[in-house]
Amino acid sequence: MIKLREIERDFAVGDQVVHALRKVDLDIQEGEYLSLMGPSGSGKSTLMHILGLLDHPTAGAYELDGRNVTGLDDAAQAAVRRNKIGFVFQFFHLVPYLTAAENAELPLVLSGIDPAERRDRVAASLASLGLSDRSGHRPDQLSGGQRQRVAIARAMISKPSVLLADEPTGNLDRSSGNEVIHLIEDLHTSHGLTLVVVTHDPEMGERAQRRIHMIDGQIREDNRGSAA
Amino acid sequence: MNLRDLPAMAARVLVRHPARSGLMLLAMSIGVASVVVLTSLGESARRFVSDEFASLGTHLIMVSPGRTETSGVGPSMFAGDTPRDLTIADATAVARSRYLSDVAPMVMGQANVSWGGREREAPLLGATASLRRIRRWTLAQGRFLPDGDPERDSGMCVIGAKLRKELFGPRRALGEWLKVGDRRCRITGILAEEGRSIGMDVEEVVVMPVAGALALLNRPSINRIMANARSHELMDRASEDIRQILKKRHQGEEDVTVVTQDALLATFDRILAALTYTVGGIAGISLIVAGILIMNVMLVSVSQRTAEIGLLKALGAPREEILRLFLVEATGLSMAGAFLGLAIGVLARLAILYFYPVLPLTWPIWAIGAALATALVVGLAFGVIPARRAAGLDPVAALSHH
Repeated sequence: MIKLREIERDFAVGDQVVHALRKVDLDIQEGEYLSLMGPSGSGKSTLMHILGLLDHPTAGAYELDGRNVTGLDDAAQAAVRRNKIGFVFQFFHLVPYLTAAENAELPLVLSGIDPAERRDRVAASLASLGLSDRSGHRPDQLSGGQRQRVAIARAMISKPSVLLADEPTGNLDRSSGNEVIHLIEDLHTSHGLTLVVVTHDPEMGERAQRRIHMIDGQIREDNRGSAA
Repeated sequence: MNLRDLPAMAARVLVRHPARSGLMLLAMSIGVASVVVLTSLGESARRFVSDEFASLGTHLIMVSPGRTETSGVGPSMFAGDTPRDLTIADATAVARSRYLSDVAPMVMGQANVSWGGREREAPLLGATASLRRIRRWTLAQGRFLPDGDPERDSGMCVIGAKLRKELFGPRRALGEWLKVGDRRCRITGILAEEGRSIGMDVEEVVVMPVAGALALLNRPSINRIMANARSHELMDRASEDIRQILKKRHQGEEDVTVVTQDALLATFDRILAALTYTVGGIAGISLIVAGILIMNVMLVSVSQRTAEIGLLKALGAPREEILRLFLVEATGLSMAGAFLGLAIGVLARLAILYFYPVLPLTWPIWAIGAALATALVVGLAFGVIPARRAAGLDPVAALSHH
């Protein structure tokens, strides 16, 4: 479903050009569980931003579900993000003045879903993540694990086909982190969700069926199958 | 996004940042309230003056001695020494004009008025019977000065309601002999209470025949001739006729000023309208200041909410939607401020009416409309820069912002 061809991404830093991605080719099948690993500066985050249409490649082509999305305008790319891609971030990125339910509801508001349907879907989603009694709380009244679960509810509320998780446990203690990663993996297995996890934690990265190691903006290793 | 959700989202942002929203609301509402109150005061002053003039009659022509180049309010209007004086005979001559219905010679001064040991100073008005018709006075009791030869003093006088109360108290004043200066006159009438009229307090005045007043004040000439044209259409011809009559009587010299009610009113109207626009404009500056404040607070808000904006983009909000969201926030805020300002204006109006009940305080609809429109435009105009900044944020950079 995802096809990257010769993706390049250059950044101008001062008068130097940094090549964050160099001719990256990558195919991801529907329902794959894939981890992107590598040291910082290896380009794994940049690659995830490009996969999530948050960033534009300097060169190359990105095909999503058979459609070239590289040349789409802002509104069309936003629509793709809205309908097909969910994000989970290291720092949760919940809106501080909104309640858990309102945060989870945001993508539906942006999609123009009517309020009654929004309420039902948010309630169901929070319930499935064990957050029903937290729906009226603001993020600062929630623990880290709860916050990340709200963020997962938000990412999944639009029923995307791809979930992009950027260091989803990076800001959590061990037990909350495990809880979150299991939640995400459950979504992958139960919904057939394509899951891409960016991490520098090898233990977490090894859990994926397909593990990609990046160094210097290039894919160095691409391992499939159970590692353990 | 659903159009219905846009204001709801903006409102939620504003409600959940009460300090920030409150500050902007306050600035906006003060701006709008001051525009509305100040223009309302200006407009009311204009109305007040034109009502006063209208109570003088709309066919009124005033002749004063001395020549001023421009028509309108000149110094000679309020008495003063002039090369050639106006006389009662001049007024009698003017009265023959077929364009005029009533003509009254007038002299104004101050005199001591006493009765039964009570004494006070009062404005003295020397006039003829015509003055009542020209100024549309009504009488509370008795009759006005009788018609007759203006050169003769009939020995009668009419006094204002307040003066009657002060001198006579509960006793009957009609028919009593009043001492005015060194003369005596018999009171034939009491003027009805009418409040102030331009230039003279009708409630305290003593009106006596012009011949008697001239003798009492020891003056050779009158201050003014008041005349009523037969109709509004005849005003110009009547004025010209007066000029010609007096020119002939004054050895061919045009040494009088003829002012019509319209010209006088127009002058006041222009002055007061300019005043209204000026204070309105000054108050308008406070609206602009409020707009700049809104812009600054919104800019701070955009930079504080950078991560939030990045998130909205990641969740699939296109650039236009972010732009709309921030514009709706800014305009919603300024409109809320505008309506709050109107409410403050209403309270201010009640307060002013409480302390100055005489003022016919009106709301110029244009001022309310202009204040609301300005608030909207200010909100939009000063909201554009922050909104554009928010919309233009790069999502990756915005998301990594802390």
